[in-house]
Amino acid sequence: MNREKLQQLGINLPVLPTTSVGSFPKPDYLMKARSDFAKGKITRQALEETERKATEFWIRKQEELDVDVLVDGEMYRGDMVAYFSEHIKGFEQGGLVRSYGNRYYHKPIIASEVHWDHPITVNWWKYAQSLTKRPVKGMLTGPYTVMDWSFNEAYPDRKAACFALAQEIRKEVQALVDAGAKIIQIDEPATSVRPEELPLAIESMRLVTTGLPAYFITHICYGAFEFIYPEMLNFPVDNFDLEMSNSGLDMLELFKKDPYTKDISFGVVDVHTHQIEEGLVVQQRLREALRVLPKDCIWVDPDCGLKTRTVDEAIAKMEAVVQVAKAMRN
Amino acid sequence: MELVLSNHSSYPRIGDDAAGQLLRRTIAQREKGEKTDADLRAAEDQMTERALAEQVEAGLDLVTDGLIRWYDPVSHLAGKLSGIKINGLLRFFDTNFYFRQPIVHGKMKREKPLMVEEFLFAKAKSSKPVKTVLTGPYTLARLSIGQNEETGKFDNLLAGYTQALAEEVAALAGAGSSFIQVDEPALLKHPEDFGLFETSIQALAARKGSARLGLAFYFGDIARLYPKVQGLPVDVLCLDFTYSPNLAEIVETEGSSKTLAFGLLDGRNTRLEDPTALARQLERMLGRLKPDVAYLTSSSGLEYLPRDRAQLKLRHLTTVKKTLLGRAA
Repeated sequence: MNREKLQQLGINLPVLPTTSVGSFPKPDYLMKARSDFAKGKITRQALEETERKATEFWIRKQEELDVDVLVDGEMYRGDMVAYFSEHIKGFEQGGLVRSYGNRYYHKPIIASEVHWDHPITVNWWKYAQSLTKRPVKGMLTGPYTVMDWSFNEAYPDRKAACFALAQEIRKEVQALVDAGAKIIQIDEPATSVRPEELPLAIESMRLVTTGLPAYFITHICYGAFEFIYPEMLNFPVDNFDLEMSNSGLDMLELFKKDPYTKDISFGVVDVHTHQIEEGLVVQQRLREALRVLPKDCIWVDPDCGLKTRTVDEAIAKMEAVVQVAKAMRN
Repeated sequence: MELVLSNHSSYPRIGDDAAGQLLRRTIAQREKGEKTDADLRAAEDQMTERALAEQVEAGLDLVTDGLIRWYDPVSHLAGKLSGIKINGLLRFFDTNFYFRQPIVHGKMKREKPLMVEEFLFAKAKSSKPVKTVLTGPYTLARLSIGQNEETGKFDNLLAGYTQALAEEVAALAGAGSSFIQVDEPALLKHPEDFGLFETSIQALAARKGSARLGLAFYFGDIARLYPKVQGLPVDVLCLDFTYSPNLAEIVETEGSSKTLAFGLLDGRNTRLEDPTALARQLERMLGRLKPDVAYLTSSSGLEYLPRDRAQLKLRHLTTVKKTLLGRAA
């Protein structure tokens, strides 16, 4: 593990530290508040109060579960790209497009030059961190994914849009660092979609992170990793947070061929199933990881954000993560 | 040279206005048991008619039914074949759109027409000629898996889909479809399979009767396959220019013995291209074509755009053509 960097940042973590990817399910009272706000029945302030209540619920819950590095649970976000596009100048909300079946979403449009003019996640991070002495990750979406999941009308091509976003997103990262965030996760789930653009994703991440004093994590999922590994190790981050269990740990085969060289947040529970994996199953996954990877580089977490599970399922899955990590520490 | 303005394939089945929500709402109500299959069918019919009307209003010469009834480009066809069950979601190439993956568990068989009824409905409701769209056998095979080793062999998957779609091509031609477009984006990811692909397309071409058979490639760079696809037994090649930095230059240099459908307008981005630049590019390529007809279209289906932007893209086809004619005059 890049312990030296963590220690320089004042963070001491146990062997096999536990964390989660970012999102937790929104409690029913928050879902109702979001619906009421959309219908104009409550004010934004009332919605935010409910979001703070839900954030506190998840911070307390993670402490109860004895998670080592916490997240705010993203109670204030709908979608991981739309949320940022609503706060960065230059975006317009696009009309509805289909994601699958009968599901649709508003895809943002980069309509003019992008410009970061106020902190987006910093107050939420500060609030979450004020509730606990344990480290809370700063959480945001990376430039490549924001670019890939938006229409681009302002820049001549994808590369130009991506680099422009990187320069602005860096300001958000800087603001998180200034506020005191030591561990910052920059999600890039779109990374593996166009393997030929991996250098663009890496270069834009470099624009975001270079020279900033934080331990950086990036989360990548839905991956055709066979096309981007081992080149993806060039990402200028300390830790890859990867969906391992949903794909039957098949990435370990890639790691056997080309040694994995960074820290890893190793997904030991599948977030796409309602089933709570038995302890032995989760333990076996971690054992498999330990056969291939040095113990000191492994963090333990779920495959992906838990927002699509019920509150009870999310808690049970986090409990499984923590219990197994603790059992395997010695 | 006649330049035919054509919709590529899909069109948004939702709009941001209340009327545009009809199908979404009806599907949700059907799932809750509040609407019947007949209600759903009526909603699909209504949205299909609206899609047809918007294409005609935009000035198109050749329209599609917008693929309004399709759950996705894979399961809509594969799900109608016996020997197949439809499974979980997977990403459709590099889009943010997901399809349900077919699992082949037995002998694949086409026991009923797949698209004939949909074609006949669109033809009856459209004032312009209708193009029928099929996802091709190679792409369906690439996006399917088998339940066991035997059904999962790629050769078996391809053979099964090829036979089923060849029968469908014959049925569509027999029903009066004058233009059948087969979409094969997957070939661009596996150019090494060109031999297998060619055999599959030959089987479809043999059953096309008097219909024009088009072959559409998108979501990848066709440049290196350009000479090879010229030799395929189809009437029209529909090409995505947005992934190919050199394709226009190749067409200018090498020309084309086949009728081309120029997918020059980006079907995946809302930006409206500079019509003068496109007209200039098109003009240079048209001069190198042997056939006396060509098509202008978007690079892919338009379902990836919001409805208002998809409408603008279609109208932009007209703008580009007018600009081209203005230059020629």
